[in-house]
Amino acid sequence: MRNLTRTQREPRTQRERRALDVKVRVFPFVSLLASVSFVTFVSFAAVPSVGVGAARNGVIRGRVEVRRVMPQVERRPGVTDLGAPAARDVDDRMRSVVYLESAPRRAFEVDEGGRAVMDQRNETFVPHLLAIMTGTTVDFPNSDKFYHNVFSLSKPARFDLGRYSAGHSRSIRFDRPGIVRVFCDIHSHMSAFILVFSHPYFAVTDSQGRYHIDNVPPGNYGVIAWNEGNPSEPKAVVVPDGGAAELDFALR
Amino acid sequence: MSVRVVTLRLASILVVVAYAAAVRAQGLPSEPIALAGGRVTVSGDVSATFGSPDPGFFNYTDYEHSALRLVRIDVAAAAKAGPHFSLLGEVRSENIDTLQAYALFARIRPWTGRDFDIQVGRIPPTFGAFGRRAYANDNPLIGYPLAYQYLTSLRPDALPASADELLQKRSLGWLVRYSVGAPNVDRGVPLVSALRWDSGVQVHAGAGIFSAAAAITAGTVSNPLFSDDNGGRQFAGRFEVRPIAGLIAGTSFARGRFVSDAAVRSALGDAAPSEDFRQTAWGADAEYSHGYYLVRFESIVSAWRVPTIRAPAIDEPLRAVSTSVEGRYKIVPGLYAAARVEHLGFSDVVGSTSTLPWDAPVTRVEVGTGYSLQRNLLLKISYQHNTRDGGVLRRIENLGAGQLVFWF
Repeated sequence: MRNLTRTQREPRTQRERRALDVKVRVFPFVSLLASVSFVTFVSFAAVPSVGVGAARNGVIRGRVEVRRVMPQVERRPGVTDLGAPAARDVDDRMRSVVYLESAPRRAFEVDEGGRAVMDQRNETFVPHLLAIMTGTTVDFPNSDKFYHNVFSLSKPARFDLGRYSAGHSRSIRFDRPGIVRVFCDIHSHMSAFILVFSHPYFAVTDSQGRYHIDNVPPGNYGVIAWNEGNPSEPKAVVVPDGGAAELDFALR
Repeated sequence: MSVRVVTLRLASILVVVAYAAAVRAQGLPSEPIALAGGRVTVSGDVSATFGSPDPGFFNYTDYEHSALRLVRIDVAAAAKAGPHFSLLGEVRSENIDTLQAYALFARIRPWTGRDFDIQVGRIPPTFGAFGRRAYANDNPLIGYPLAYQYLTSLRPDALPASADELLQKRSLGWLVRYSVGAPNVDRGVPLVSALRWDSGVQVHAGAGIFSAAAAITAGTVSNPLFSDDNGGRQFAGRFEVRPIAGLIAGTSFARGRFVSDAAVRSALGDAAPSEDFRQTAWGADAEYSHGYYLVRFESIVSAWRVPTIRAPAIDEPLRAVSTSVEGRYKIVPGLYAAARVEHLGFSDVVGSTSTLPWDAPVTRVEVGTGYSLQRNLLLKISYQHNTRDGGVLRRIENLGAGQLVFWF
């Protein structure tokens, strides 16, 4: 799970897969761990039949319909507060991530090392969903007047950025693929997802649910759509030489 | 059995329980339960504390409950009826006992654009800082601050006849009987109760870095009541300022009739007024946090006036002063260390043969650590060193404890 590139080159045997499966069942310590294992395991298990010669890259595009939007996390009842809390923004939970279940071998040779931003604004993480490649550094600026404390106990990235005030930012580099749940230690209703991929073939949907994954080498792929911890079943798609493949999803 | 053996056994039990709880917690909610489109929210706090025996009664909140041996279940709910009105409540069970309503109040916000609220019913504490974060999830250690938990020998419904009788009861606040008033044995009161809430009306307003609250209630800070026992009302106020991010400084005041009418009548006769026998409390607190550390300070001065019927009389108000300093440092993600140093002192009373503090002063040092097994599942371990200067009970006690906290 740590080294997607190596595992991709040397697919696991059935025995290894069963062992991993048993581990997941026996040690369900963190609920997300199961999701992370699922995503990465499926990635390892599927063997792409792609031709990566001199062919021109194509595009996968389509739309993700989220039929049942996950409800906003409400504040805990402020029974001990002396007054009602101030209004806060609402997370955008309609956006999904679409990604290739398995990627061409050369995809893992990419080391993007870029930067991304997840702001803390009006007691919400903005964006609520971020998809990045391994090696990316994410900045967490605080745009509120009060403290926030970003942290995660997820296995791919366990970190705590401490308390810091408005106008300050702290960052963390994500080197392991998987799903990272991000929280604020002070405001328990604040949460976000960061999906870390070992390859560049993923996209976050826009406000209409549309997506497009660019520069995909022609070939046969399995594609997965993911929203708020719920992944779809992989859908098969054929990316033509220099062309576009259409693929829609409906998530419950 | 030595403290080390007890602590090791507790640690072993807790590791097993924590693992089982972590597995079990997968099926439990991790966020507040929202109903009716988010208009009703329900949250819970469950803490199970296992501590070594406390024969010195340093951590007892009454004769039957020790803060170090307690399973506490809190369920809180809020129902919003539009932008101006909400109803909030909390029920609590200690050691799987019967559920009791600790909070039930209406919150009215007349102007949605202003930070101004009126709360009516069994309302949250106005006085002090710790009372509003007395949940295990908010407390980095396991024990409560002395001012909010340690039971002094004073009772609102029973009175010492003289200074000598009061001095005889030093350190017996966990179960005390006096010759005047109620004849039964019962617990004394802490300086400020963190475990019961008062009933009345509270107004809160905030503007910029300032906020203030004032309340009129049936009981006093040391003896919150649902129904009044002396016809008097307590006035409590708090003023808070947040000059920079991370710094909160507050001051509190409360004054109300403490001794019950029945006890005053027993002491001074039917015609005696009870309004003279009040509790007056002042508090100052500050909290500063930055990065990975958090420091809190709180000091409370409380003065009670009680009637006496025999010489030597208790002339002066009975004063108690508590000072507490607490710190927490996050070592690595999910793991922190914390410590609290505190002292609770009492004013002198002149008896027939000696002049002594009216209750035995107590000093406590508590150090501990907390580890998050999950975001909402916390394992705490702490060690307490308690010393008591006088009294009839054990004077030095070292206690180990572990606590498992789950919240949603």
